[in-house]
Amino acid sequence: MLRFVIQRSLRAIVTLVAISLVTFALFFILPANPAQTMCGRNCDAKQVHQTLVNLGLDQPITTQYTSFVKGIFVGRDYGSGAFQRHCEAPCLGYSYRSNEKVTDILARTLPVTISVVTGAAILWIIFGVGLGMLSALRRGSLFDKASIGVALVGASMQVYFFGLLLLMIFVYGLKVLPYPQYVSLWVDPLGWLKAMILPWITLAFLNSALYARLSRAQMLETLSEDFVRTARAKGVPRRSVYLRHALRAAINPIVTVAGLDIGAALAGTVITETVFSLTGLGKTAVTAATQLNLPVVLATVLLAAVFIVVANVIVDGLYAVIDPRVRLGA
Amino acid sequence: MRRKLALLSIGALGVAIAASGCTQTGNGGDNNAKTTIQDSVVSYDPKDSTGPAPAVPGATKGGTLYNLENADFDHLDPARSYVNIQQVVGTLITRSLATYRESVKPDGTVKMTVIGDLATNPGIDVNKDCKVWKYTLKDNIKFEDGTPITSADFAYGVARSFSPQLAEGPHYVQNWLAGTGATSADYNKTYKGPYDGGAATPPGVTTPDAKTIIFTFPKAACDMPYAAALPMTSPVPAAKDTKLDYDRHPVSSGPYMISEYIKDTSLTLVRNPSWDPATDAAHNAYPDTIKFSLNVDSAAINQRLIADSGPDQAAMTWANVTPEVAAQVVGPVAQRVIDGSTQFAEYISINNLRVTDVNVRKALNTALDKTAVLKAVGGDLAGSPLNTIESPTTAGWADYNVFGVTATGDSAKAQTMLGTTKPDLVYCYANTPRRQNQAVAVQASLQKAGFKITLKPVDAASYYTILGKKDNSCDLYRSGWGSDWPAGSTIIPPLLDGRSIAPEGNQDLEYFNNDAVNAEIDRISAESDATQAAKDWAALDKKIMSDFAPMIPVDNARNYTLLGSKVGGAFLSSAYGVTSMNTIYVKS
Repeated sequence: MLRFVIQRSLRAIVTLVAISLVTFALFFILPANPAQTMCGRNCDAKQVHQTLVNLGLDQPITTQYTSFVKGIFVGRDYGSGAFQRHCEAPCLGYSYRSNEKVTDILARTLPVTISVVTGAAILWIIFGVGLGMLSALRRGSLFDKASIGVALVGASMQVYFFGLLLLMIFVYGLKVLPYPQYVSLWVDPLGWLKAMILPWITLAFLNSALYARLSRAQMLETLSEDFVRTARAKGVPRRSVYLRHALRAAINPIVTVAGLDIGAALAGTVITETVFSLTGLGKTAVTAATQLNLPVVLATVLLAAVFIVVANVIVDGLYAVIDPRVRLGA
Repeated sequence: MRRKLALLSIGALGVAIAASGCTQTGNGGDNNAKTTIQDSVVSYDPKDSTGPAPAVPGATKGGTLYNLENADFDHLDPARSYVNIQQVVGTLITRSLATYRESVKPDGTVKMTVIGDLATNPGIDVNKDCKVWKYTLKDNIKFEDGTPITSADFAYGVARSFSPQLAEGPHYVQNWLAGTGATSADYNKTYKGPYDGGAATPPGVTTPDAKTIIFTFPKAACDMPYAAALPMTSPVPAAKDTKLDYDRHPVSSGPYMISEYIKDTSLTLVRNPSWDPATDAAHNAYPDTIKFSLNVDSAAINQRLIADSGPDQAAMTWANVTPEVAAQVVGPVAQRVIDGSTQFAEYISINNLRVTDVNVRKALNTALDKTAVLKAVGGDLAGSPLNTIESPTTAGWADYNVFGVTATGDSAKAQTMLGTTKPDLVYCYANTPRRQNQAVAVQASLQKAGFKITLKPVDAASYYTILGKKDNSCDLYRSGWGSDWPAGSTIIPPLLDGRSIAPEGNQDLEYFNNDAVNAEIDRISAESDATQAAKDWAALDKKIMSDFAPMIPVDNARNYTLLGSKVGGAFLSSAYGVTSMNTIYVKS
């Protein structure tokens, strides 16, 4: 286990370093001046240069990169004189555009994305996997055909269409729900639920369709394997055959996909956040990219990578829990 | 003064103070669509500057007003605020020396008057030479914590606007104090603000007592009453100056103060307990609370206001109705539209350093189908065709048609003007879907007249940076401009005074530089008679276009925004080119 954790941690660090280096390099290749865009149109050349200096963008790329890494571990200072700002560790940079630490931006936007993704993931896994399993058990039945049909509709649907459709029906038409406006779960649980319900349904419907198809295919394949036939022949109750033997074997690929999907979704559900005007991590990242807001882009890219890497590690760990045949560190 | 931001759909960047051509419509039966030319008035009648603001018939006090916006405000720090909607919000929080009082006249038009805000009048020209301006503060004016506001707070507010770190706001007063050109970037060459050892009072500003502040300029600055309405003349208590963080919580001297501000999400304003309505002749401040929802998708804003349910009934926006939902704005919904022209103008700038033949520039003006170009970005909803450099909302504006063509252009006539010449020109555009559409329309229109137009996309985020370089490689490009106050002085000089051309960071995107025009700019700038100056600016506008055709005026931007059914007292502000919040109320 320890070997597994060390191995995966080292791989994760290498991945994150590589991603941060590539992101840094990309911004240097761009034929644009981030300092100008951050300073605004009314800034003259002197002020743009001052912004450049404040951001440390006048330094060689190697110096900038080491300063960035140093900031993560011991913090760093930005600007000079009366306008010097200290960014405490873990400092992921400073946004001169919004005049705040990047960690503050992440602290504000990440809960929004986590709220959207967590609820949606629970729904899409429960409904998607449940639907797929039941379809497999009732293969060829009307239920199977109907659920496959629904899955096809969901898989072909787009967030921006389905989300708007839900808004049209429930917010603008029936007026039974308010327009989603994020509030913290801890401040107003009911308000949080009202704000999240439509984004959850949107994401869950589209994703559960894929999970239903995947689960159905996996379950059908597993049910046709020898060990299931053996279990049935030995007189193991049908319920046990399905839940203890078949489901356990069929679930591994689904866990893999779910882990990666959730990791990717946590990195930002850009379209969902845009459709429902939720300022989450994804929307913030896209805005930062269009504004050449390097510190925010770098932090969001890194955070996205962390989510993917962590999701992978969790998935690998779950393999061993679900299927004893899998051994960690192998 | 600044250009309209090409990337934002909010409506506009740029301080906006327009004098005429304001239109207002509205809700609650107190408005109807109409466009009327009017002149702004700088009032020295003490009654005009004395509060409380005239009551709005039928208005009720209380309730929560919602404002749905598709982006956060870049700045609320008065030294850094230069966008019209930020300034509208700003006037609710931080009052200036002067302000604009606007009211709806019985004929539906808006009367705009420049009055004293925290000062007793818009400024006394002490020696009648526009060089020394004196302001006397009103009694009983206080910050949100109850501390009395003194002249030193105003001096400090002006002082900090010299700081290079707070440079995003307008620089008129700073340049006048420094004796540099009105649009020069050299205003803080010697004095850099009160930080790092700088004096708390800038050179040229004196505060002989707690209630008097005097500005002394080396050269005449006859527009000072208008400039005094800019947010940078707001008082800032030195002890509470949080520098860059002041953006998050400017200390209130106005009717509202910030209760909560979550960047990119929401801003909540509540009543300032220290505000005395008797000192304020401009703000009625009817709602108890104003809640801004920020970063809301534009389409959602319009759909919510059309649906008009729940709290959205008491909501407003500054985001224009988009073409895709325009068809839904009919019947009762159409009664909730604030519609009218603004001070923002759009042009196709001609790079005069590259397109040196005036005949070619005139042919370009003759050939362009402005209707088609406008249609590509929203048609009638976006604006109306324009022939002049000044927008129709500028005092003294006079329309002309020096090329004798309609808005659809005349390609045959342009072809005749060109003769055998087939100019090969590069049209640069911001690489966004909106501007891509527009570029195609420009290309099609000009190629009909025999021009060969090569389209060149430019990174949208760096658009003005690239085109602001004197040696840019583009011949034609879109640009926009909104006047800072209703005078040609905030349009012609920044756009066409060639003496301001620098290697980069230019506002004169035409790179037009003519000695005779520059001399005329100087002459009119020193004109103390505002009415005469307005006429002269309009005449110079026409002369520049007829003699040099340095640019192609394309359209005058339109405001077309929705309100909820429970919002009353709203009208299109002539001063800011968006729905005013001064007289707005929530219907009970």
